[in-house]
Amino acid sequence: MEVLRADSVRRAPPDLAGRRALVVVPAYNEAEAIARTVRDLRRQAPWADVLVVNDGSTDETPERARAAGAKVLDLPVNLGIGGAVQTGYRYAHENGYDLAFQFDGDGQHRARRLADLARPLLAAEADLVVGSRFLRPRGATSSVGRIAGIRVLAAAVSAVTGRRITDPTSGFRGVGRCGIELFAQVYPQDYPEPESLVLAHKHGLRVTEVPAAMRRRRGGVSSIPFWVGVHYMAKVLLAVLMEALKAPVRLEGEVAR
Amino acid sequence: MNWPQRFVLLLMGLGVLGLTLELIRRRRLREEYAVLWVCTGIMILVFVVMPNILFSVAAWFSLDHSVLMTLACFAFLAAIVLHYSVVISRHSEREKHLTQELALLRDELEKLRAESRSPPPAPAEPKPRPPALRT
Repeated sequence: MEVLRADSVRRAPPDLAGRRALVVVPAYNEAEAIARTVRDLRRQAPWADVLVVNDGSTDETPERARAAGAKVLDLPVNLGIGGAVQTGYRYAHENGYDLAFQFDGDGQHRARRLADLARPLLAAEADLVVGSRFLRPRGATSSVGRIAGIRVLAAAVSAVTGRRITDPTSGFRGVGRCGIELFAQVYPQDYPEPESLVLAHKHGLRVTEVPAAMRRRRGGVSSIPFWVGVHYMAKVLLAVLMEALKAPVRLEGEVAR
Repeated sequence: MNWPQRFVLLLMGLGVLGLTLELIRRRRLREEYAVLWVCTGIMILVFVVMPNILFSVAAWFSLDHSVLMTLACFAFLAAIVLHYSVVISRHSEREKHLTQELALLRDELEKLRAESRSPPPAPAEPKPRPPALRT
């Protein structure tokens, strides 16, 4: 009898049982990395469709993404990360996808790990799953200052949601149908990751983290340069607290609850 | 308040009201954004006709009436700026929604074009579009 190693069990494709999955890759001037990211996704996660949302890039991002085999939506003007990601959720909503994942175009996320995000969603154990760099030691590859900032944000988001969140800025995440519907209707704009966790929690979504190691970036520059870190922290903290005070949106459709 | 002061205030009030109404008439200003300006004009005219209101309110707060006027101006300007911030927020939300809709429609158009070039063997069941999302 063959004994499966834990590793190979984890790498087995998730059992979708007829459900359809979409990977949303927001990309703004990521020509250097986008083709490899798309090819990785198609090879490592063939069970999901790949949608690149080209956020008004001025380089060859859309052409290279299409050549690599992704479906590409072109935003005629630059909306910023929040608007681009939300376009993906709206696409998922309109095309009847059951699962939607967010995946950075710069190559820091690992396509192979998408299955780890999918499993809690498929088992109906969670409605929003975040891949965290900090659940396991050795995973983090950020600078000391950035890790400290993320800790503060994590504490704030954990306090507001009452759940332990270790990596609120992670853009490596997946949602099920109610998450797709919620984010298709409302999604924060500027630095949306921490805020959207509070938003999801307020609308009754169960937020869970799974460990996810990430690579260093392949090309392009981070959307958060270090020197704006302090400004970023203040803005996001305020946004997280404000989000907790905002009135919830009434969801329409069959998955509303 | 002496007569020259009242005369100048009268001109100001009529000017604000007249300009606002004229802009609305020429469709260069939408009514919903003109409410505060119309209120401003009417307030000035009220003070011209009944300056005693201004003096008694100033007396309540133990202020000189000119100081009260200045404060009132600031309050009006602050209200107008706040109103604009709300309008801008609404517009950026709409602009985002329209941009996204444009990208999604362009994608659908490409799909339809591709289908009309090579019709699929069995015409797919037209999928009802989910109801439009509120923004």
